[in-house]
Amino acid sequence: MFTILPGGAGALRKQSLRANLTGYAFISPFVIGFLAFTLIPIVISLYLSFTNYNLFNDPQWIGTFNFKKMFTQDQKYWNSVRVTFIYVFAGVPLRLMFALFVAMLLNTKSRMVGVYRTVYYLPSIIGGSVAVSIMWRNIFNEQGIVNSLLIFLGIPPVAWYGDPNAALGTLIALSVWQFGSSMLIFLAGLKNISPEMYEAASIDGATAPRKFMKITLPLLSPIILFNLIMQTISAFMTFVPAYIISKGEGTPMDGTLLYSLYLFRQAFMFNNMGYAAAMAWVMLIMIGIMTAILFKTSKFWVFYESKGGR
Amino acid sequence: MRKKTAVWLLVVLLFILPACSGGGSAGGASNGEGNGKSAQENTDKKDKTTLRIAWWGGDKRHEYTQQIVDKYQELNPHVKIDVEYAAFDDYWKKLAPQAAANQLPDIVQMDISYIVQYAKNGQLEDLTSYIGDQIKVDDVNENVISTGKINDVQYGVPTGVNVLGFQYDPELLKKSGVDSIPENWTWDQYEEIALKVRDAGYVMDGSMAPDIFFHYFLRTHGLSLYNQEGTALGYEDDALFAEFFGRLARLIKEGAVPSQEKLTQTKGILEESEIVKGSGVGVWQWSNQYVGLQAAVNRPMELAPMTGPNMEKGLYMQPSMFWSITSHSKNKEEAAKFIDFWINDVEANKWIKGERGVPISASIKEAIVSELSEPEKQVFDFVAAMEEKSSPMSPAPPVGSPQVIASLADLVEQINYGQVTPEKAAATFRQEANAVLANNK
Repeated sequence: MFTILPGGAGALRKQSLRANLTGYAFISPFVIGFLAFTLIPIVISLYLSFTNYNLFNDPQWIGTFNFKKMFTQDQKYWNSVRVTFIYVFAGVPLRLMFALFVAMLLNTKSRMVGVYRTVYYLPSIIGGSVAVSIMWRNIFNEQGIVNSLLIFLGIPPVAWYGDPNAALGTLIALSVWQFGSSMLIFLAGLKNISPEMYEAASIDGATAPRKFMKITLPLLSPIILFNLIMQTISAFMTFVPAYIISKGEGTPMDGTLLYSLYLFRQAFMFNNMGYAAAMAWVMLIMIGIMTAILFKTSKFWVFYESKGGR
Repeated sequence: MRKKTAVWLLVVLLFILPACSGGGSAGGASNGEGNGKSAQENTDKKDKTTLRIAWWGGDKRHEYTQQIVDKYQELNPHVKIDVEYAAFDDYWKKLAPQAAANQLPDIVQMDISYIVQYAKNGQLEDLTSYIGDQIKVDDVNENVISTGKINDVQYGVPTGVNVLGFQYDPELLKKSGVDSIPENWTWDQYEEIALKVRDAGYVMDGSMAPDIFFHYFLRTHGLSLYNQEGTALGYEDDALFAEFFGRLARLIKEGAVPSQEKLTQTKGILEESEIVKGSGVGVWQWSNQYVGLQAAVNRPMELAPMTGPNMEKGLYMQPSMFWSITSHSKNKEEAAKFIDFWINDVEANKWIKGERGVPISASIKEAIVSELSEPEKQVFDFVAAMEEKSSPMSPAPPVGSPQVIASLADLVEQINYGQVTPEKAAATFRQEANAVLANNK
């Protein structure tokens, strides 16, 4: 780390110590923040996951009981896992497809394209916020726009949030609609594909779908991978829409009881802090595994120009 | 060198962390200006007592409570009151860490579903010695003041009382061919009327909160939802569960009550409830919700008593909330005096007007009648009439009750969706609830 010079070593060391101290002083806000608000809470939550803790009494060590209970006795837990997986596996691909579709539309040369890009990105800026969820609730509620439209068309109205079969679908629709951020990343990726490729393909007589399959998709695949991973992780952690739309209860029939919502209920409604901490750790591991699987499969479908295709 | 840096880091950490936690605990919603003032005043007058008080509620409640606090400070210049308030959910999320750190305010507003937890964990003061001394309760019905007792220890003083009833639109009932709700009506009569209402093209009600009304139903049988110790359910016969929720599900099936789909969808949105839209006859709920409902419905409404048989056994005065003094408070006597002001001061109660339930003191009730609006008066009269017919309340819900209630609500939903029979749900509920309550043994 340090170059020791004969003779002036002591002075130099002193000088570098001072320089280092200044450096540490400058990074200390981050280091302290990281320790106080990230690392220490993580360690404490790991400890709590092996305890029975209700916020009032001291945590009691109960070993792996929380995990056993979660996996073997708690039906609601498995229900929340099921709901979350449906939400992720239906919502994320749909959202990415939609984002790519819109990105390609916005990649055309048109006069108003700047305005369109802004407008399509808006839903994501107000993203997972409470306001959007409330608006969504109003659009789909009993006398909302959607039902009014259905009645106008002579179709009986649907209880979007009351029907156990429809509620999760409505939540997924909300998540698809918030496609802006992945759309923007796709758009940047599309801009990076050089037009010569398409021109060359056109000269060879390639059709539009063929150009899409053979040029756009392969060259975009690293970006697809990035979006896929980021969106999967955030989808696993979705909380606000389910909380707002089901009034914090995951109704109807636990159909919208996403993992994080059930975790919240255990922690803050039932004061089972230990159990909730255990759930959080299982979620972390689950997301880790999902991400690892996505990375593993990526070598079969992601194309990197710089590495000769891999 | 590394060691030195580590030491240095540690020093910084030690310096900053207490500062963080100190800042966090002081955070009340409204003491931005108050704190600065209090520092100054304290130097002026060293013997001034400072009380901290916390409550939950909406804007209207914050406004008049602050008004009362100001008035009290004016009358008692030696007392300075710092206020903290929040919405219901946030209130409990804030109170729990304060309790864990022994930093609760001197006076806290307590809810019936939390008071047992706080009392059992030693956070609340026994008020017995203050009652009759600092806190005068000569004009208060024994059934009412005893609602603040847990295992015969007075942990809270109710701010006011509510009572269950049927709040309805008499006009719609007449249109359905029912002139009035019969005196001492029974569940069977309720069902008959509901069917008549359905035949006229209306719906009877917007369903009942399962835990509250099932509890009432059990009380009419001399039972209770939880046993005395809070270690298990308070009834043995699952047929009662099946009878009660079976009837409610039947009413849904017959179309006398909106379907569960509709109920889930419109839950918590007053504007979309059937009675506000003009297609529903009434709502089963607490009397303090009547004034708000009446304003939304904007048609003449009335209150009817609960259904029987044995209404007198089932009916009880429910404290809307309590004032409690925390055990770590250093100014318990001053805190008790403020609670007394709350209960017995006419001026203060003219501002409160029953917003925290109908006042518990009989003389206060009389003194403020002239100040009430028509719906408020209806509520006061209704509660007064029901008070004579009520029995003592069952013990406050035990620790774990939120989980038990959530489990019950879930199962009732499943019954109403037709996914499970009432009999099967009764057994599942017993098993789930007892598993939670067994932790209290």
